[in-house]
Amino acid sequence: MAASSGKQRWAGAVKQVTKSNFAAALQQLRTDVDSADFVAISCRKTGDSVASSRRHPWHRVLPIDTPEVAYLKARLSAESYEILQFAVCPFRLRGYKVLAYPYNFHLFPRDEINLVVPSYSFSCQTSFLTSMAQEGFDFNACIYDGISYLSRVQESMVKERNLIPQIQPVSSCSSLSVADSIFMSRIRSRVVHWWNVCKESSNTIDGDLIKSLQKLISGTELYGSRPSMSISVCSDRQVQLALQTVSHIHDDIVPLVVPDKSGGPKAVRIVLTNSEADKNLLMTEIQNIENEQNLRVRGFREVIDVISSSNKPVIGYNCLHDFTFIHSKFIAPLPPTLFEFMCSLRLVFTNILDINHLSKEIGPLRKAKNLPAALSFLKGQFFVPIDIELPPKAEENSNKAIHGNNVLQITYLFAALSALLKRNPDGQLPQGQNIMPIEDYSNIFYPLCTSLQEPDDELNYLVEHAKKSSTDNLVFLWGFSHLISSKELKRELQQIHEVFTEDFELQLMDKTCAAVVFSRSGLAEALLKEMESAKFCSDALSMKTSGLRAAGYDAYRKVCMSGLWEADLADSLENIMSGSTNSLSASSEKDSSEVYRRSESTIDLSDL
Amino acid sequence: MRNLPLFGARSQTLILWLIPGLRRFSSAASGGGGAGVAVKKVTRSKFEPALEDLRALVRDADFVAIDLEMTGVTSAPWRDSFEFDRSDVRYLKLKDSAEKFAVVQFGVCPFRWEPSRGSFVAHPHNFYVFPRKELPVHGPSYEFLCQTTSIDFLAKYQFDFNACIREGISYLSRAQEAEALKYLSSKYLDGLANSFCNLEEHVDIPLVRTADLFFSERMKTKFQEWRDAILKGSDKGCADKENADSNEMQFQTVFFKMRPAVFLNGFSTHQLNLIQLVVRKYFKDLVYICVVDEDNSWQRRLVYVETEEDKASFMKEVQQDLIRVEKRVESAVGFRQVVDLLASDGKLIVGHNCLLDLAHIYSKFFGPLPSSMMEFILAVHEKFPYIIDTKHLLNSSQVIQFLMKRSSKSLSSAFSLLCPKVSSVYQNSTSSTYVRFEIQADETGSSCFNSGAKHEAGYDAFMTGCVFAQACSHLGIKFEVHTPLCDLARNGKIKNYINVLYPSWNSGTVLHLNTGTESLESGYKRKYPAVIFANIVLIWGFPSKFKPKDLKDCICRVFGPDSITSIFFIDTTAALIQFSKEEFVNEILVLKDTLERVNDPISMLHPLSKLLEGGNTRAANYDTYRDICAASASKVLFADQADSLGIRWKTKLGTGSQETKEASCNETTTDITSLVEHSSEVRADSIRQFKHQISYGDILDSLNVSKSLLGKGMTST
Repeated sequence: MAASSGKQRWAGAVKQVTKSNFAAALQQLRTDVDSADFVAISCRKTGDSVASSRRHPWHRVLPIDTPEVAYLKARLSAESYEILQFAVCPFRLRGYKVLAYPYNFHLFPRDEINLVVPSYSFSCQTSFLTSMAQEGFDFNACIYDGISYLSRVQESMVKERNLIPQIQPVSSCSSLSVADSIFMSRIRSRVVHWWNVCKESSNTIDGDLIKSLQKLISGTELYGSRPSMSISVCSDRQVQLALQTVSHIHDDIVPLVVPDKSGGPKAVRIVLTNSEADKNLLMTEIQNIENEQNLRVRGFREVIDVISSSNKPVIGYNCLHDFTFIHSKFIAPLPPTLFEFMCSLRLVFTNILDINHLSKEIGPLRKAKNLPAALSFLKGQFFVPIDIELPPKAEENSNKAIHGNNVLQITYLFAALSALLKRNPDGQLPQGQNIMPIEDYSNIFYPLCTSLQEPDDELNYLVEHAKKSSTDNLVFLWGFSHLISSKELKRELQQIHEVFTEDFELQLMDKTCAAVVFSRSGLAEALLKEMESAKFCSDALSMKTSGLRAAGYDAYRKVCMSGLWEADLADSLENIMSGSTNSLSASSEKDSSEVYRRSESTIDLSDL
Repeated sequence: MRNLPLFGARSQTLILWLIPGLRRFSSAASGGGGAGVAVKKVTRSKFEPALEDLRALVRDADFVAIDLEMTGVTSAPWRDSFEFDRSDVRYLKLKDSAEKFAVVQFGVCPFRWEPSRGSFVAHPHNFYVFPRKELPVHGPSYEFLCQTTSIDFLAKYQFDFNACIREGISYLSRAQEAEALKYLSSKYLDGLANSFCNLEEHVDIPLVRTADLFFSERMKTKFQEWRDAILKGSDKGCADKENADSNEMQFQTVFFKMRPAVFLNGFSTHQLNLIQLVVRKYFKDLVYICVVDEDNSWQRRLVYVETEEDKASFMKEVQQDLIRVEKRVESAVGFRQVVDLLASDGKLIVGHNCLLDLAHIYSKFFGPLPSSMMEFILAVHEKFPYIIDTKHLLNSSQVIQFLMKRSSKSLSSAFSLLCPKVSSVYQNSTSSTYVRFEIQADETGSSCFNSGAKHEAGYDAFMTGCVFAQACSHLGIKFEVHTPLCDLARNGKIKNYINVLYPSWNSGTVLHLNTGTESLESGYKRKYPAVIFANIVLIWGFPSKFKPKDLKDCICRVFGPDSITSIFFIDTTAALIQFSKEEFVNEILVLKDTLERVNDPISMLHPLSKLLEGGNTRAANYDTYRDICAASASKVLFADQADSLGIRWKTKLGTGSQETKEASCNETTTDITSLVEHSSEVRADSIRQFKHQISYGDILDSLNVSKSLLGKGMTST
C-alpha cells in the first residue's frame, strides 16, 4: 500500500516506446484507448516554469500571479523547453479496481523529413536532466531513437510541400466555358488513345523497339508495375476538369493529383489497372503510402490525435503546464491570451480533468506541492483500497525501468479521489455507477505555483496563509540603489514613508524588484499617487533611495503580456512605464481581479 | 557589378552554416577514421587522478592542442554570421552563442617532442563536461540551450549523452567561484550571527498577527518539551507524545557535533524567523544554525548546548565547518582546474578555427564576456599569451597552401592531407618529410581509452596538434635540431602566425590577439563590394509574401533604379537594404514616417505603401540591427525578436529628426534633379514645373509622389 512498494510493483510495467517499436505500439494504444474510460497523461520536460532556476526568478509561476499571468508564464516555458518523455495511460475504472495500460514515449524533436524542424532549439535546466539521469534515463536512446513529431500547424505547412501523388474526389464543375470544353475534349482524346494503345500492346507481341517507340508516342510511363500517363495542368480548375473527364472514360483508370514544390497541382497522373480487384489493390497501396508518410510526418503526434479523437476524459496533474506544452508542440503556437488558449484546447480535448482541481475537494490535499506528497497524504489519511491491474509484462521488458511511472501515480490518485468523492456517507461505493459526474470538474485548471524563495525552503508562506488580497493592494518597487535583502529593504522602507508603517508583506521578485502587498486596501493606491506627484522623491528621508520607482499590478501584467521576459523585472517594468504615461494610477482602477484567492484562482472555462 | 543586388549572399552563408555545429565538416571521409588512436575518456569519477597526470604532461609539453564540442552554435537562424554583419555585430553573435550553449566535451592533447625517439608524443584526453549544479547556489549557467540540429549532429557521431549528463565534470568560472564563496559564507555566518546577537538588533519581526503569536507560543512549548525531555534523559516519552499528535511536525532527536539537535524541516522562511526569535528570547541553551549538508541543500537545526562555554566551543566547531564549505566550493570548481592549468604558465595553445572555442572558454571558466570584441580579445590574450589558430596557419602560409592544393581547409581534410601517415594506419614511418607522432596510452587502464573518432573533442584536438606540428615542419622548423624545444612559441618561423585568429565568419579579416584589432587578411579576394554600414536600412515586419524582388521593386520605384546597392534578407520577416547613397537612409525613414502619419489617398497610392501593408512594418538604421542582436532573447524569427524587446515605434528616425526632415527635403530635390539630369533633360523640366505648382506645405509628400512617378517612368523606359 505504501508508495515505495508501489514503485517496486510498477517497475517495468510501463511499456517504453521509441522509434523502433512506435508503429506497433501505436496500434496497440489505439485499441487500448478505445476500450478505456479515461486517459491519464504526464510528461517529462527539459525544464519548467514551476521550479525554474533560470536567470530570471520572476519567470516562475508565483502566488501573486492571476490566472492570466500564470498562463503567460506557462506559455513562456512551453515555448522554451522540450518534452523528452510523454507517458499515456488509458485505463478502465471498476469501483476500486483499475485496469491500466501504461505507455511511455521517448521523444526528440529531430528533423525527420528535411522540411520543418519541430523546434529550432530548446532550453535545458541541468537539474531536470540530472534528476532524469538519477532515474537511469537513457539519453542516448532518447536522442538517437526518440520519436519526432510535428504539430498540426507544422504538418499543414509541410502538406503544402508534400510531393506524394494523391487521390482527389471528383467534383463536377457547374459552368463550362469554351476553353474548358476544348481542354476536356483534348484530354479525352489523349487518354482514350493512350488507353487503346495500352490495351492493344498488352495483347500483341511486339519487338522491344516497337514497344518503346509506342511508349514514347503515347507518353506511357510506369506507376509501380502499372502503365500510367501524366497530364499537365496549371490550375485547380483544370485538375477538376481532368478528373471529371477521366472518370467518364473507363472505370479501370485511376487518376492521381501530383503536386509541385509550392503545393499547387502540377499534373494529373492516370494509372491503368487490370481489373476491379487490381484497382482496389492500387487504392490500398496508395492509401498505405499515404499512411506511412503521415506517420513519418506526424510521428508522436498520432498519439495526441488518437487521444483527441477518442473523446475520452483526459486526466493530468498540473494541467496548465502540461497542456500549454501539448498545445505548443503538437497543435499550434500558443495564443496570446488564456481565453483563446482554453477555446483552442477545447477543440482538441473536450474533457480535461485536473487532479489539482479534484484534490481541492479534499481539503488538506491541496497543500501537497507535488504528486508523491499528494499520494502519501492520501494514503495516510484515507483507506482507499485501489488495486491497479497491469497488463502482463512482456518478456523483453525485464529491465526495471521506472520511466513514465508518474502516469500510474496519476491514475492511482485519480481512482482514489473519484472513489472518495462519490463514496456515500456509510463508506460504500454506490452500486452500478462507475463514473462519477465528472462534468462538474472538467476543464478547470488549478495552476500550481512556487515561492520565490530558495527551493530549500520547503513550504511557501503565502500559500499557507491563503488570505484574500486584491491586485489593488500590490505594488512593485524597484530602483533601490544596491542589492539588498528583503529584510533590509523592509526596514529601509519603513523609514521612508508612512504607508510602510502599516502591515505589509515584501518579496523580492528578483535582485532588482520587490513586490509589496499591503493588508489594508487603499494604501497601495495612496502610495502610487504620492510617488506620481513626485513629492515623495524630494523627501529628505529618501535620499538613499532617490531612484525608487513604483508601479501597480497592471504594469506587471503588461510586462508579461508584451513578452518582455529577457530582462530583470525592473528593466521590463521601466520599459512598460515609459510606454504609457498614466499607468501608475491606471492599475488600480481597471481590472481589480483578485490574487491569492486560493480557492477561486482556478481557471474555469465554463465561466468564460 | 556595383549595383548587383546581393541576393546570392544568403545562399552562400547558408551553405557554410547548413549544419550548425558542423564547423569542421569534411567531405573527405578518409580523414575521419582515427583508427587506433587511444583517446583517454575522462568523466567525473576519474577526474582527480586524470588531472594530476595531466599536470605533469602539460608541464612537459611543447604545446597543447584543444578542441570543444558544444550543444549548438546559433540560437536562432538570423544569428548566423552574415556578410552584412559589422564586426561589433559579429562579436555580439559570437557572444550570444558562447553564453547560451553549453560545452559538453573538452579535448586536451599535450604534445611533447621526444628527441630520443625522434617523434612527438601525444596524450589525447577527452573530458566530458556538464554544468551540473554542485552547490546550493543559483545561477544562469544551470540552464543552457540546445540546438536540435547540433544535438542530432553529435548523435550522428555517436556522442555519449549519458556519459555527459550522468558523469560529466561540472565546473565554476572564476567569477562564479568568488560569488559562491561569498554567498555561502555570508549565509553561513548569518545563521551563526543570529544565534549570537542580542535581542535589540532583531526587532524587525513585529508579532502583529494572531497566527504568528499562536505559532510562536506553540513553538515555545514544543521546544520546552523537547529540552525538558532531553534533560530528563528520556526523549522516548517525548517522541511518543509527538507521534500521537500526528498532524504536527515531528521532532526527532538527532545528534549534531555530539550534541542533541532537531531538524527544522517544513517551515517557511517567515516561520523560521519566528522560531529564531523565540529561541533567542526564551532559550539560552538552544542554538539555531543553518548549515549545508551532504546533498548540497540548506539544513536548519536547533541544537542544545549545556553551558555558555559549551555554546562558545560549539560555535567554534561550526565555524570550522565553514572551511569545509570552502573546500566544497573548491571541489565544485571542477573542470576549470584544467583550464587554469592550460592558462598557468603561458603554454602554446593550438586550436583549429578556435575563436568560438575561446569565447566559450572565457565565458564558462573565467567570467562574463566583455561587451566589445577588443576587450574580449585582450582579455583572452592576457589569459593565454600564445595561441595558434591552425585554420589561419593553413590559410596564410604559401607553402602549406601549395601542399594542400587549395582543397578544403576543414580540420579532417587538412589532417588527412598533411599527415597521411598518422591518419591512415598508424605506423612508425622513417620518411623525413613527415613528422612522427606516438600516442601514449599510459598504464593499464585501458577501459578508459576509446579509439578516437572524428568530431570527438579529444581526437579533434589530437588532429589539430598533428596538423600544427606538420605545418611547422613544412615551414622549416627542424624539431631534431631545436632540441630542447622549449621555446616553440618564440620561434621566428611561426612568429607571424602566433596570436592571429581566423574569425569564424567569412569577412576576409584576421584578429590580432596582442593588439585586439581586426585587419584584412592578405590575399583575400572580396566576392562583393565592401558593405557601407551607414547606407543600410533595416526593415522588418513587412507582409510575409514579400520577396526580395518585390522589396527591390517597391523601393526602386521611389528612389530610382540605381538607389539600391544590395538587399539582404535576414529571414522571411526582415531585410537589410544597402543604398547607394547615405542620404537615402534618412529619406526612406522620414518618408515612411510621413506616410504612416498622414492617411490620405495620396499616401495610400504611394508605391511604398505596399511595403507598409499590414501596419507592422518597422524600419530603422543599422544601429538598431546591432541593438536587436545584442538582446539576450532568441526568437526564431527576427520580427518576433524585435517585438520581444518591446519596440513600440514604427520608424526610428535618425538623431534630430526634425532637422533631418528639412535637410532630407532639400537633398531630395537636388537628388532628383541629378537623377533626372542623368536620365533626360525634358523630365527634369517637368519636375521643376511640377514643383512650382504645388503648395509649399505639402512639399514632402508631393516630392515623394513626383519621385514615384519618376521612378515609374524610369522603369518603363
